[in-house]
Amino acid sequence: MNKAPTVCVLTANRLRDGTVVFLDFEGAWSETLLEAVAARSPDEVRALRDRGTYDAIRNIVVEPYLIEVHETANGLLPIRYRERVRAAGPSVLDDVPGYSHPDPGATHDAHAKAA
Amino acid sequence: MYRYDEFDREFVRQRVAQFRDQVARRLAGELTEDEFKPLRLMNGVYLQLHAYMLRIAVPYGTLNSRQMRKLAHIARTYDRGTGHFTTRQNLQFNWPKLADIPDILGELASVEMHAIQTSGNCIRNVTADHFAGATAEEVADPRPYAEIIRQWSSLHPEFSFLPRKFKVAVTAASRDRAAIRVHDIGLELKRLATGSLGFAVFVGGGQGRTPIIAKCIRDELPEADLLSYLEAVLRIYNLHGRRDNKFKARIKILVHEIGAAAFSAQVEEEWQRIRDSALRLPEHEIGRIRAYFAPPPFEHRPSKASLRPPERNFERWVTRNTHTHKEPGYAIVTISLKPIGGVPGDASAEQMEAIADLAQQYSFDEVRVSHEQNLVLPHVRIEDLRRVHARLQAVGLGEANAGLVTDIIACPGLDYCALANARSIPIAQRISARLAARQDAIGDLKIKISGCINACGHHHVGHIGILGVEKRGEEHYQLLLGGSGAEDAALATIAGPGFGPDGIVDAVAKVVDTYLLLRASANETFLAAYGRLGPAPFKEALYAR
Repeated sequence: MNKAPTVCVLTANRLRDGTVVFLDFEGAWSETLLEAVAARSPDEVRALRDRGTYDAIRNIVVEPYLIEVHETANGLLPIRYRERVRAAGPSVLDDVPGYSHPDPGATHDAHAKAA
Repeated sequence: MYRYDEFDREFVRQRVAQFRDQVARRLAGELTEDEFKPLRLMNGVYLQLHAYMLRIAVPYGTLNSRQMRKLAHIARTYDRGTGHFTTRQNLQFNWPKLADIPDILGELASVEMHAIQTSGNCIRNVTADHFAGATAEEVADPRPYAEIIRQWSSLHPEFSFLPRKFKVAVTAASRDRAAIRVHDIGLELKRLATGSLGFAVFVGGGQGRTPIIAKCIRDELPEADLLSYLEAVLRIYNLHGRRDNKFKARIKILVHEIGAAAFSAQVEEEWQRIRDSALRLPEHEIGRIRAYFAPPPFEHRPSKASLRPPERNFERWVTRNTHTHKEPGYAIVTISLKPIGGVPGDASAEQMEAIADLAQQYSFDEVRVSHEQNLVLPHVRIEDLRRVHARLQAVGLGEANAGLVTDIIACPGLDYCALANARSIPIAQRISARLAARQDAIGDLKIKISGCINACGHHHVGHIGILGVEKRGEEHYQLLLGGSGAEDAALATIAGPGFGPDGIVDAVAKVVDTYLLLRASANETFLAAYGRLGPAPFKEALYAR
């Protein structure tokens, strides 16, 4: 049985503010996974890895690494739960009965990113 | 409380200036990440799952209102309006920008705070009983000794690169609120046989992937010998602690592998060599530090102030969230940072400012951070309790749940931490919401949740502990029962096969239901019932088909 080819995207944190970023189609670092460029062959994976190393040396990002994703009808979905949380932002619940957010005026990151 | 002297001020000011330069060089590309990482960690700056995180030291959990207002200001100006109080009595900001951190450290320095030694393989922030200086249960205020240890351990040249991080906790009460038996060194201030003050010294406790209860290696240590003895312990550890394997590098592994008796013998030998050195604490120096912690000017108040007219929420809060003060007419107030369904340990800038106001007006300008992720107003007149409660309620902090099942410890978990394997906070939120209606009937029950084996959420010593792990890329939770971090310290044991994120909430509810069904009386706590019944009926409830 053929194993489905692994699809990868390149992620890192932006040096200046630590924001989670993904390498996009245009070679820039995007804050959303939706715009990430996917590597589907060993050569493409190698190219992404090299690009991460290069941009880390150029002090644009820190700690670049590849994550495996599924391609779904709604876009890319990280396989590991950890990477799903990292891509979406904290999953802190605000619909638990009785729960009131400590700072009602704050825009929650997860919701901001999901919007 | 302790106030910086000229040395402290200059030392912190220089460190801020150094780090400002280091950050500028990093952003300019003059330092690589490999070069910069150890420098940022020395200043409490981590790169976490979503962003940088800054961990700020709160020595022995003591803050004044000016410091609390500064934390609120930083939360609002540089973060997203919220701070997170931790199980090490520290505060973490989850969203600072690297470029802003030198300014944040400068702001902290202006109120005598810093982030030094909140990371790295050094002696970390010294923690203490959060009721210190207020509880009638203590023999003396332990904080002067915690401050002496802080001064001794700050940038100690011999102990800045230990095999692994090193944590010290101090208490002065037989009822252990500082969890001293699960620290690298735990100190219990006590009266010695001579009648003088001294310490029982516990060594080699800890949680993480190898949980171990500390061993008492010296039951009577005179106070003058505190630093020489600690230095001897650290020297033996520094010499023999493993540096080849990060997971076996803590002092608990060394003590366990060579045995407490052999470890103690080596410490004693080294101690005899250095005991009469400059490390001997002069009485006048202890007195000088103790003066910083002199009791506030308590007024003579009636020991039984009226709490009338009765009101149910207020009465519940007084019952759960206030404790006996050593001074008649005063009470210790626990401010729960565990609103039902809320994020354990989080406080908004507005809440921090409200607490600062309360501390200034009603608690001699003092706030404490507890390792259970709550805050404490240590010295409140009983007649002011109603006003304090009303103000806390107004800012969403009036929950009467200290020590109850909704007073859950939870590490940041996978929502924030780069090391975590599973989320802790949403599990805590859901358990809190699920059990809130019955919390008074359930009584004392401590749930502690960690999102990985490092055990920052203290799951090993939870009455009910939860450990998040990763199983085939998904979250999975182990359930542990019967632990305690108090004077009856015990490690919880795994109940059986783990659960998914939904199943773990049901599992906790089943354990609680079983306890309520089988307890001998409403006065038998969960831990007592578990001790009497053993794990069998709980396993039956959890796993029987």
